[in-house]
Amino acid sequence: MRPFGVLAAVVVLAPFLLHYPTLETQILTFGLLSVAFYLLLGELGFLSFGQATFNGIGAYATARTLIDGHAPLLVALLVGTLAGALGAALIGALAVRGRGVYGVMLTFAFNEMAYYIAFQWRGVTGGDNGLGGLPAPELFGLSLDDPVRYYYFTAALVLLTFAAVLRLIRSPFGAVLRAIRENEERARAIGFRVQRFKIVCFAISGGLSGLAGGLYAGVFHFVPLQSIDLDMSTNIVVAGILGGAGSPYGALLGAAVFIVLSDSLSHVWAHWPLLFGIVFCAVVLFFRGGLWSIVQQRNSYASHA
Amino acid sequence: MSPLVELAILNGVVQGVMYALVAAGLTLIFGLLDIPNFAHGAFYALGAYAAFSVISSTGNFWLAIVVAPVAVAILGLLVDALAMRRLARAGHVYQILFTLGLVLIVQEAIVLVWGADPTSVNVPARLDGGIPLGAVSFPYYRLFLVAAAAVVIGAVWLGLQRTKAGAIIRAGIDDPAMVECLGIDVQRLFTAVFGIGVALAALAGALILPIRGGEPAMGNELMAVSFAVVVIGGLGSFLGAVVGGVLVGLTQALMTIVYPAASEVAIFAAMALVILMRPQGLFGAR
Repeated sequence: MRPFGVLAAVVVLAPFLLHYPTLETQILTFGLLSVAFYLLLGELGFLSFGQATFNGIGAYATARTLIDGHAPLLVALLVGTLAGALGAALIGALAVRGRGVYGVMLTFAFNEMAYYIAFQWRGVTGGDNGLGGLPAPELFGLSLDDPVRYYYFTAALVLLTFAAVLRLIRSPFGAVLRAIRENEERARAIGFRVQRFKIVCFAISGGLSGLAGGLYAGVFHFVPLQSIDLDMSTNIVVAGILGGAGSPYGALLGAAVFIVLSDSLSHVWAHWPLLFGIVFCAVVLFFRGGLWSIVQQRNSYASHA
Repeated sequence: MSPLVELAILNGVVQGVMYALVAAGLTLIFGLLDIPNFAHGAFYALGAYAAFSVISSTGNFWLAIVVAPVAVAILGLLVDALAMRRLARAGHVYQILFTLGLVLIVQEAIVLVWGADPTSVNVPARLDGGIPLGAVSFPYYRLFLVAAAAVVIGAVWLGLQRTKAGAIIRAGIDDPAMVECLGIDVQRLFTAVFGIGVALAALAGALILPIRGGEPAMGNELMAVSFAVVVIGGLGSFLGAVVGGVLVGLTQALMTIVYPAASEVAIFAAMALVILMRPQGLFGAR
């Protein structure tokens, strides 16, 4: 549990060390998206190119529940999570029927469809103006309309969820996912209902993404159309791979690095995505463990010393 | 039929033929070489910008549509030789990821070199004007596009089906080890095919420039549509790329009149349906 302790300490202390609570909240919500992506790629071995779909579904569902239902924040987030999970279960049920690259293409095609639906369905999503007018977040009468408070609210939910994901990975369910990743035919021959496991994995990934979308909606009381577009999906892929597809911690690290660099570099050099693309290509070519493998190597040197 | 609908159908066919040209390149790379090239749209955008540079420095459109595809194809050869071969063993996921990184690089490099603002060039003087169709007229340039695309697609198809190099390539795809035993460097031929696929995308970008102009993200939407075309038509099928391209172009044009809200969704829904119901596509053998 040591890395989780370090993570929790960093998350709790972050606003004291560097006082950018809104940025740090974005790191957490994006980190959750990255972890959801990791679950599919790292554990199941399925590259999903449509993670923004579930992020967007969750964000819009949370926002509509808050606006139309006047529901408490936690209820709205639960609705967003379930909506993300349901969307991912439906899309996943179709996507896992495509073999190899076709599965990737299906997640991609559904993301495009979801984007154009969100773009056109102005009454519900606000189209390309985005969906505004969310009430200020509030928890049991306590206002969360303060960047630091909202950060800690987000941090508590994200850490809880992350702990649950770690538990899930260590569970027999996680072992079956890895068995499917390593050898799908063998997993099927042993008697596991492979398709069903894949769909459940999709649903969990979609639920995490939906929660992340809902939490993000609370940061600015706003859901931008970008939360469901293909660039968002690309960013999630980039962050996940950069951090390393071998560990959920890598996924979080990649998300943090992605958000911090894109925020700071964009002030320094407008063309920072160029550097990002080059680093990303280099990671894919030479360094598939990503950033997390550096951390791990350092750790193993330290423990041998 | 109202002239508006007529014009929409004609424009749909033109757009569809452009899709077919891009998809023909993608079907070479993705269908034959089995490389899911997500950077195909980026090569298309680079083709448009390369043509823009040639036209703005020499004023010669005809030179541009030759130089741009060749220049971008050389880049494609480098990408294949330096990266795609190395990644072939790592599998599709890493090929997709690498080409995704290329998209980021190319898009930002375009902004860096040519700026973020849209660019445009005039239709070459010789092709100015159009055929009168009652109240509207149909530009000569669009007719030229269709003819040029048809000639190029036909030439590549003939090269693949009727020449010795084409026969070796097809044999190499079916059984690379056997062809290598015959003393032929299959990899070099595959790299050449990759280059031709890239050149087709770049040519399409150069040809579309006088109509659409260029903007840095122009490749993204096209990439998505061309994957849809290739999947609908059938992976690796030239006929599929052509028919699929025209079908998609026409569908978009007609949907824009009938029910514009669903014109994009329809394409991707069709793609998903084809993958699920008929994975080999309309004309695919496999």
